Amino acid sequence: MLIFKLMYLIRGYVVIRTDDKNAEKVLNILRRRNIAVWDVEKKGKGIKFKISYEDYIKNSNLINEIVNPVIKRGAMLKLNKVKFRKGFSIGLLILIISLYLLTSMIWDVEVVGTNQTNTNEILGLLEENKIKIPVSISRIETKQLETLIYNNFEYKFVDVFVEGSKLIIFVREREPEPAEIKSNEPSSIISVKNAIINKVIAKSGQPVVKEGDVVYEGQTLIMGIVKNKNSDEFMMVPSDGIIYGKTYYNFEMKEEKIRSVNMSTNKSKTVYYLKLNENSIKIIGDKDPYERYDYRESVIKVPFVSNITDISFLKGVYYEEEIKKIEIDKQTAQNKMKVAMYDELLERCDDDSRILKSNINFSEDDEFYYLIAQIEVIEDIGEKIRIFPIEEEQTDETKED
Amino acid sequence: MSKFNNFRSKLADELEIPNNALSDNFELRMHGNKKVIIENHLGLTVYDENMVSIKTNDQDIKIKGSKFKIEEINNLKVIVKGNIKEIIFSMKE
Repeated sequence: MLIFKLMYLIRGYVVIRTDDKNAEKVLNILRRRNIAVWDVEKKGKGIKFKISYEDYIKNSNLINEIVNPVIKRGAMLKLNKVKFRKGFSIGLLILIISLYLLTSMIWDVEVVGTNQTNTNEILGLLEENKIKIPVSISRIETKQLETLIYNNFEYKFVDVFVEGSKLIIFVREREPEPAEIKSNEPSSIISVKNAIINKVIAKSGQPVVKEGDVVYEGQTLIMGIVKNKNSDEFMMVPSDGIIYGKTYYNFEMKEEKIRSVNMSTNKSKTVYYLKLNENSIKIIGDKDPYERYDYRESVIKVPFVSNITDISFLKGVYYEEEIKKIEIDKQTAQNKMKVAMYDELLERCDDDSRILKSNINFSEDDEFYYLIAQIEVIEDIGEKIRIFPIEEEQTDETKED
Repeated sequence: MSKFNNFRSKLADELEIPNNALSDNFELRMHGNKKVIIENHLGLTVYDENMVSIKTNDQDIKIKGSKFKIEEINNLKVIVKGNIKEIIFSMKE
């Protein structure tokens, strides 16, 4: 029945009302004429019913004689009306075509992740490749553009995508790579930390420290200047080797016994804004409804409208929060401090470092738990640095000669 | 029921085919006490909110209840909706 009604909503139907006391007769006459009748209802003394628009047109003489049509409904009837309103129809058609054209074009290019100079260069490259704004979306091949930009600029990453009527080019610039010391360049190895030398493995160069020596940050460990065996001259060589040193890391940490935590009360209030360009106008709801809250907002885009214009809605939700005091037990606090300590140690040491000895002490007072620790670590403390020959200044005697 | 119609009805039963394919008998179906579908009818005789009377070949069917609406009526069938309390079959005189 729903499909039947839906079909006649499109094809059109006529609502008829009769105040005739013998309504049954009307229905029987219509039935005999093969006219389908539906939704028959008693209205006052008479009845109200519906028949299809086609049947009404075919039998209009008879129907107008016995009853009065009240309303004519349906999509086809509306379309028939439009036939007579040519100006409106043409306007509507133009509107649909212009909307289609406007939304199928790119009107703006946005370059994200680089400075203005590079942006202009990218836009220039696009123009060279016959991509001038406005351009049809169908003409944009994102993968092709990505390759083009990637080949012409030294970017680490390029992503091109179309969002509404905007072409967005997302780039990530390459970070300058650290200068590497070539293996054949003269170099020395210096200490990067204060340490006690544990082991020296020198593959080339002259080691200047031995096991048990105390070295400081920046001190030379293996020198890249060695004496030539055949002459008294010194020569510069590339140094290579590993110097293990004992280093000591001291940690002092504290953790509150009672901590204040923001807890949600499961209450929330929503506020809606109308966003026009960068301005937003409040429509529904209150700003800052709670004393303490967590605020989150999301943009609601209006299909079609947001693509063409910068109009959208902003939904903000205030989640009420309250401060609760939580007592931290001793074991949890100690574990937390230990984990934080090892995390920090990992950041300060190399991956291949080894813990030799650890001395961790816990204590507490009325307000805090404390951790005091000293960790003894064996690690590679050497770092290669390049050395350069110094040009000797000519002496006065030589000048005179 | 006329004798010929009676014969056609029996024949339809024997041949195990739908009764209304051969005879002029009406077919009545009910969906709970909310809807009645009557096929092979000859029209309405009474339509009121509390009573609907439908003419068939041999009998008049009176449906009593409340809030009656006729969902659909055409040459083939009539669908009556409402709160049905009673259905009375009366032979034509």
